[in-house]
Amino acid sequence: MLDLSTWQAKTVFTALAVLIGFFLFFPVYWLVISSVKPDHELYLLSPTIWPNEFTLKHFKTALFEGGLPLHLTNSLIVSLSSAAINATLAVYAGYSFAKYRYFGRKPVMLFMLSAQMFPFGLLLITIYPMFTDWGLLDSRFGLMVSYIVFALPVATYMLYSYFSQVPNELIEAARADGASDLRIFHTIVLPISVPPIVTVFLYSFMWSWNDLLYSLTLIVSDDKRTVGPGLLLNYLNESNADWGGAMAASLMAAAPVVIGFMALQRFFIQGVTAGAVK
Amino acid sequence: MRPAVLFLESPVSKAATLTDLPVSPHARRGGLKARQGRFGVMLLIPALVAFGVVVLRPFIEALTLSFYKYTLSTPEPVWVGLRNFGKVLTDERILGSFVTTAIYVGLATAFSIILGLAWAIILNQPFRGRAAVRSLSLLPWIMPSVVTAFLWGWIFNSRYGLLNYGALEMGLIDERVAWLSTSAGAMAAIVITKVWLSIPLFMAFFLAGLASMDREQIEAARVDGAGNWAVLRDHLIPHLRPVLLVTIVLAMIGNLQQFDTIWALTGGGPVRATTVLSVEVYRRAFESWDIGMAATVGVLWVATILPPAYFYLRQLMKGAE
Repeated sequence: MLDLSTWQAKTVFTALAVLIGFFLFFPVYWLVISSVKPDHELYLLSPTIWPNEFTLKHFKTALFEGGLPLHLTNSLIVSLSSAAINATLAVYAGYSFAKYRYFGRKPVMLFMLSAQMFPFGLLLITIYPMFTDWGLLDSRFGLMVSYIVFALPVATYMLYSYFSQVPNELIEAARADGASDLRIFHTIVLPISVPPIVTVFLYSFMWSWNDLLYSLTLIVSDDKRTVGPGLLLNYLNESNADWGGAMAASLMAAAPVVIGFMALQRFFIQGVTAGAVK
Repeated sequence: MRPAVLFLESPVSKAATLTDLPVSPHARRGGLKARQGRFGVMLLIPALVAFGVVVLRPFIEALTLSFYKYTLSTPEPVWVGLRNFGKVLTDERILGSFVTTAIYVGLATAFSIILGLAWAIILNQPFRGRAAVRSLSLLPWIMPSVVTAFLWGWIFNSRYGLLNYGALEMGLIDERVAWLSTSAGAMAAIVITKVWLSIPLFMAFFLAGLASMDREQIEAARVDGAGNWAVLRDHLIPHLRPVLLVTIVLAMIGNLQQFDTIWALTGGGPVRATTVLSVEVYRRAFESWDIGMAATVGVLWVATILPPAYFYLRQLMKGAE
């Protein structure tokens, strides 16, 4: 939409593009490149932009000598389960909001939506003693349950918007054939709703996977820790700072969400933007 | 993390899904007519129970606890009325964290909106490889928060950091700066980190807004002799106004809630220079174990989020029937 035929316009445009692009992408490049530099090249006062030497040492160390594989496994268990719980709850709630009319539907929906705005830190203050009472402290199951806070409201809203688009004729026709509502939902509506459900699943997964606050607080023992606090507590502490290891472990921690996101990107972007842009 | 707060709507492209179904184009898409309301309520119950347990109950309890003294030395909560709130007003440190939060939210919101908008306008121009740049641009947004913090911590590192090296080379500074050990440096670091991870999302919002821009309107303006600046000011920005408003509100809510990257980068320090409200509440609750005061500060923190949240929810429910 801009007219870049004059050299002035072209210069300003290119300069801005390069500056912002550099700010966005160079840190990612730096993360990757720092993870493959040997220590003696990492700790230089004048760092090398392209490494003279490459090494996979940091990756090996992270994979075989630290807690990372365990923390990754814990994150995988917790995030997959909480995503499954969230997606299941949201599927039924979203369908209920979209296709049924009952007293209190709108206020309840509004209230669930507003939950996304509650600061998670505030809820944690009382979730902590509650979990202590219920024996859910320092348990992966407890953490999984607490992650409902993060994604359920948005997941429900996403599926609500989707199910609202499903034509009623489809459902009413099946009803005329004598199928029960639950059966109609399971055999007719769910099969055509796989993409949004997968998106909601991935969305919940990302929230749990990327969390630091809840896992840091609700998990105490190292063998149950998830990857966020695992990274934080193992790589950079008062006694040592292993930057090469931190970068390599970071890449491995980011990999699952980056891969999942890239695979489902199209759905994701549409979902993300549709809420703000009407 | 990330994306502290965002709402997603129908994640499915209209093109790819329902229009493929063999139904009449006049199909009704609202609620079902029949009286199956009770079945609808049953479907809602599991989510409602989960929601009540992990969101509603903790929230109400936190509200209640803000009226109690509840610390390590008083393990049974004692009713103190509004005394906690009174303490907040006279505690310079807590008032300070409101100021710190305002600075953080103001700076992070302003810069992420401006840069996100600029980046969207740049990526709205056709050029080779644009699709790839657009998808790569989203990387900062999906990174786990600790990874983001590590990455920037390494860049800001006082001895081996890229920033000091670059700034020295360019002659911007005379000697290495310990960014994370100075108040201003640490604040700059957490703001830059947040701006970096917010640009992708806002860019996506603005790109979606730009997609609905009427090209003919711009062409007409061009014919009338409008330059780039005039097109931006008189056409693009006014067209984006609604999107811009929602994005600013979302940015504010997200920045008010931000915890992970700040905690991982600075832990709220040096001293209290980056202790925003999220950090303040966390420290009071889980370091000093002063639950009552933590809840009180938390309730006031919610109060700061309410105005933008109200605005946003109103927008969101407008379309809902």
